This record gives sequence, C-alpha cells and structure tokens, in this order.
Amino acid sequence: MSLLAGADRAAFVTGLGSRLRAAGVPVDLTSTVAFTAALDVGFPRDVESLYWAARVTLVHRHEHHPTFDAVFDAVFRDTVLATDPQARRAARGGDTSSTGDTWARAAGRPAGDVEGDGLPWATLPRVTAGGSSDDEDDVTLPEPLPSAAAALADTPLEELDDARLAVLESWLQRTVDRWPTRRSRRRRPHKQGTHVALRDTLAASRRTGWETTRLRYRRPERRPRPVTVLVDVSRSMQPYAVAYLHLLRVLARTGRCETFVFSTELTRLTPALVHHSAQEARERAEAATADRFGGTHLAGSLRALRRSRWGDGLRGGVLVLASDGWDSDPPEELAAELARLRRRAHRILWLNPRAAAPGFEPRVGSMAAALPYCDAFLPAHSPDALVDVVAALVDD
Amino acid sequence: MSAPFTGPDEVRDRFAEHDYLADRGLATSVHLGTRLGMPLLLEGEPGVGKTEAAKVLAASLDRPLVRLQCYEGLTAAEALYDWNHAKQLLAIRVAEARGDRLEEADLFAEEYLQERPILRCVRSTDGPPPVLLIDEIDRADDEFEALLLEFLGEQAVTVPELGTFRAAEPPVVVLTSNRSRDLHDALRRRCLYHWLEFPDPLRMVEIVRRRVPGADEPLVAAAVDFVGGVRGLDVDKPPGLAEAVNWVAALSVLGVGELVREDVAATLGALAKTPDDHEVVTAALDDLLAGSSPG
Repeated sequence: MSLLAGADRAAFVTGLGSRLRAAGVPVDLTSTVAFTAALDVGFPRDVESLYWAARVTLVHRHEHHPTFDAVFDAVFRDTVLATDPQARRAARGGDTSSTGDTWARAAGRPAGDVEGDGLPWATLPRVTAGGSSDDEDDVTLPEPLPSAAAALADTPLEELDDARLAVLESWLQRTVDRWPTRRSRRRRPHKQGTHVALRDTLAASRRTGWETTRLRYRRPERRPRPVTVLVDVSRSMQPYAVAYLHLLRVLARTGRCETFVFSTELTRLTPALVHHSAQEARERAEAATADRFGGTHLAGSLRALRRSRWGDGLRGGVLVLASDGWDSDPPEELAAELARLRRRAHRILWLNPRAAAPGFEPRVGSMAAALPYCDAFLPAHSPDALVDVVAALVDD
Repeated sequence: MSAPFTGPDEVRDRFAEHDYLADRGLATSVHLGTRLGMPLLLEGEPGVGKTEAAKVLAASLDRPLVRLQCYEGLTAAEALYDWNHAKQLLAIRVAEARGDRLEEADLFAEEYLQERPILRCVRSTDGPPPVLLIDEIDRADDEFEALLLEFLGEQAVTVPELGTFRAAEPPVVVLTSNRSRDLHDALRRRCLYHWLEFPDPLRMVEIVRRRVPGADEPLVAAAVDFVGGVRGLDVDKPPGLAEAVNWVAALSVLGVGELVREDVAATLGALAKTPDDHEVVTAALDDLLAGSSPG
C-alpha cells in the first residue's frame, strides 16, 4: 500500500511546487518534471522517502533546505519539528523568524509598494519656481551634472544630505568601470599573444587553400579579482555610515564585490544592496543590520568573515576595511587576524575617515597594530577621497 | 555488470559492501540519478566523502570511472574534444605533395577527432556506460559550466563539423563542488542536488572503523571524540572525515593503542593543515585529551 494512493501525481507535484515557490524556494518546471518522474520510479512508501525524493529533485541550493523543510513539515507532517540536521541547526540558531517571514511574505505580497507617491530618497528635489529659502543653489540642480559633483568634492561626508549623497553615488558609479584584475589560465585569441593557437590558425588557413600563411596567437585573459569590503557602523563611525552605504551599494552592484558591515557582529549586505531601487536597498540594509551604532568588535568580525563561506573569496582578492580603529577587542588579536588575512588576500586597504584631520597619527592601539599588514592607508572623509579609494582598488 | 539499484536501501547496502556508509539522502539521490538518468550534484564541506561517493558508485555498479578534475582555464579542448591539429597539418602537406584537392570534410573527419573525457563517455560503446566524475566543478571558470549544459541536459555533445553525438545509454554523472564559488542556476537545474552533512560521532566511528580496519576499537572512539573537539576550536580548516581517517590510519601505523600526548603531537600534521591551526590545537591539546579519554 503506497502513500497517497489514488492521488493525481501531476496535480500533487505542481501543488507542492507552487507552495514552495510561495515560500521562497525557486522551483522550476524541470525540477517539477524530475520529481514526477521520481514518483514513477518507485512510489514512496513512507513520508521519509517522499521527503528525500522531493528534496533531491526540487531543491538546488543548500540555503533553501530550511525553507523546504518548513513547507514539507507543514504539508505532510503537520508539525514544526524539523528532522533534517541542517534545519535543526538553523532553528537552534534563533532563525525561527525565517519560516514565519516566508508565510507572512506570501500572504501580504504588495506590502513593499505602498508608498508609491513619495519621492525615492535618491532623487534630487525638483526645481520650484518659488524656491524655498532653505534650499542651497547646488542642491536644486535638476541633474547630477559633473559640476554638481565637483561642488561637493571636498565636502566632509558627515555634512552631505540625501540629495548630495545621490549625486555622490552616481559619481562613484562612473569610477568603478576599472576593476583590479589578475592573469588567468584561460587564453583568448589576441594579435600580440604569446602562444600559437593551432585551432585558430588552421581555421584561418581555410581561406588560403589550407596553406598556413599567418599564425594566430592567444594570450592569457585577465580576470577581475574578488573584492571584499567591511565597513564599521559602530557609534564612532555613525556620521560616515550613510555615505559608506552608498559606496557599498555601488561596489555590490558590480557583482564582483562582497559587502559587509560590522559593529558588534558581522552582517552581509550584498543581497540587500543589489536591489535596483536605491531606497529599497537602503531600507533592506538597515533592516538587516541589527547592531547599528553599537560597540566595535573588529578582530571578532574579521574572524567571523574568515571562517564564513565568504572567507575563501578573499583568496587572491582585495580586502577593504573602513574603520576608525576604535576596537574593544585587544590589538594583538587584530594583528593576528590581519596577519592571517594578509596571507590570503592580494591586497589590504584601510580607510579611516579621521586620517585626513590635521595632525592625525595612528595612535589608537588597534590602528597601530593593524598598519603593518595594510598595503594602503587612505583617508576617506570626502567624496573626492572615496573616488580615490575606488581608484586605489585598481592600483596594483 | 551489476544491475542498477532497485531502491535507496539497495544503494545503501551495496555502498556498505564497499565500506561507504551512505545516508538516506545520498542513497535516494543515487537511486533516482541512476534510474532517471539525471546527473547528481554533491555539495558539502571538504573531506566529507563527495569524490569517494562517486568512486564507490562506479565500483558498486561495476562500471569504469572516468574522472575529470576541474581547474581554472579548463576548456572544451580538454574536457569535450579537440582536433588533432598536427595530424591535420600533416594531411595538408601530404595532399599538397600529391597534388590532391582537400575538402573541409576531409580534414574535420573522425580520424582527426581526439576524444576527451566527456565525449569518451558519450561515445563509449563497449560494455556499460562509465560513471563520469566531474570533480570540484567550482574550480573551473563559470564559462566552463555553460559548456557542460548540453551534455548534462541531453547526454549529447555537438561537434559543429561532425554533428551531434548522443549517448546510447546515458552515463551516470556525478558533479562535486566545495562551494568556493556559487554555481549557476542553469547547472543546478539540470541536476539532482544533495548536500552531504558532516556525519554525527556514532556514524563517524563506524566509518573510520571500516576505513581503517587495523585500528583498535577504543582508539577509534577516542580519536573521533578528539576530532570533534578540534572542529569546535577556532581553526582555519576544520578537519573533515578524510583527515580523521588519515589520522587514525597514521596512529595505527605507529602502533598506538590509546591517545597519548606525544603521539598526538607527533601525528598532528594529519589533522591540522596550517601552522596557525597547529598552534591552536597544540595549545588546546590537554583539554582535548582530557575530553576524549575513555571513562
């Protein structure tokens, strides 16, 4: 006697698939077909076999396993107790909100778009004939022209309002077309190549009656290096946090950069920041960062990064740290951590918004301990300086 | 040739005959993969037995294993097929000397085609289709993933000059990945996906016992406890199953009966693979030994 005898398989599979999709697991048609075929191979006799048959065919990412478990349990087991070790771990880690969230999201979909009439925070105020008294001249420009950007080049970051920050973002956007690269093992045809490309040479000789009159060459291609950026959002860095968020968004949207913020713990912002709407990205980033404007655990956050699955992305990449160096972890820990990261990363850049102040010396214990491991130490206090930072990424 | 599996339980039994303890998920995905002719994508942390699973699958089906180790810069010429350019150039010269007229079809014929692992699997006609292991796919560039799509989806390889080769009987394909980068959704979609969990201590004892038959019972239990302790430390690379097996093998080669400080320190190289990790484990050695001593 098999489980679900007499059920319409196609309807059953499609139903489960759409339920999973509603919960946030992208189930495509191919997987649905595969699952139906799997049911044909040997119809599951118990819930456990059904679970595994569904899981290996419908889910293609490890991240989706907890959600899948929740949906499966809700449908077939009518219990909140998950059997899968992965799901149990997630539940133990206090991630119980994820299941609640997914249901809530599925129920109230249009929640995101309620305030359609308000201007996004990134757009400039419109020019009005009357011209209200508190608007300054450069802010009322209708477009982020180069002149508008130039006007704020030296303005300290903490003095920028939302409108100017939007100008800054569009300005930074234009500077990221250059990216740090490394030589790869893959080769591309090139006139000044170093290796004879036999295949291309032979293909070209077809035109000359198979007489190889000219050799074709290939040379190693250059690949973008991965870039990882960590920004300190503790209390001491509060004035710069929003401006740095714009820098993070510009970098994250290249698709070649992982972005994190930390205060007492590390938060990954890349998925939140890549959202096409700047306002939505900022809201998501702020919602994701639970410990904003708290204390600082610099060494601890770096350790968390190294041990996370993004720690491998540092290999051969560029690591950018933005912090004023006020750290509640002991300086020796930071030095040890940076020594490890130094061996993994290609370059380490340190941005310190306070470094531009006259008479600045890195006298904070952590800052002094960190400097020997940094390839560059940059002041990042103004829009101009941020552009220099993006340029410094490329400096090999 | 052994018949394909009749169910997940048979997969487990036949894997166990080859000293591989498969969990329920792996058994299900192997069973479905072989029955539906779908490739199997195995992910999991390093040293958890992904590659081994493919080897055991080949052994228990009694089929040859074709292994394609991925690396950066891997292209169609190394993975699918290549033309024997030297031979083609020679043929051109010979034709010239004889005054023959060469057509394109003469040069791009089967005799100039060099089979690489994937095409070899597709065209294999003698005996059962092999098991193809595409190992550490995350090490290849993402362009390479696109090359695989036709083969994974349709078990076919197209050589533009010759046409499409389709496998008479689809080969069993296993892909492994360490998640050093994210694989494309198009690739995932074509595969059955299984995440290999790190085994719990009881299963780990069982696995180590099977892999190192000469080791003493108490030693295996103590060593597994010790490895569990090391995994809880702040180490760069937590020791996986493979490291645990190697370490117990090393200990048993040295004739160690129980874990003593000196022996552990001497063989630590099998567990801790960086100087930093070595330091961390050495510092915590006494605690770990106290925790893993029997009784």
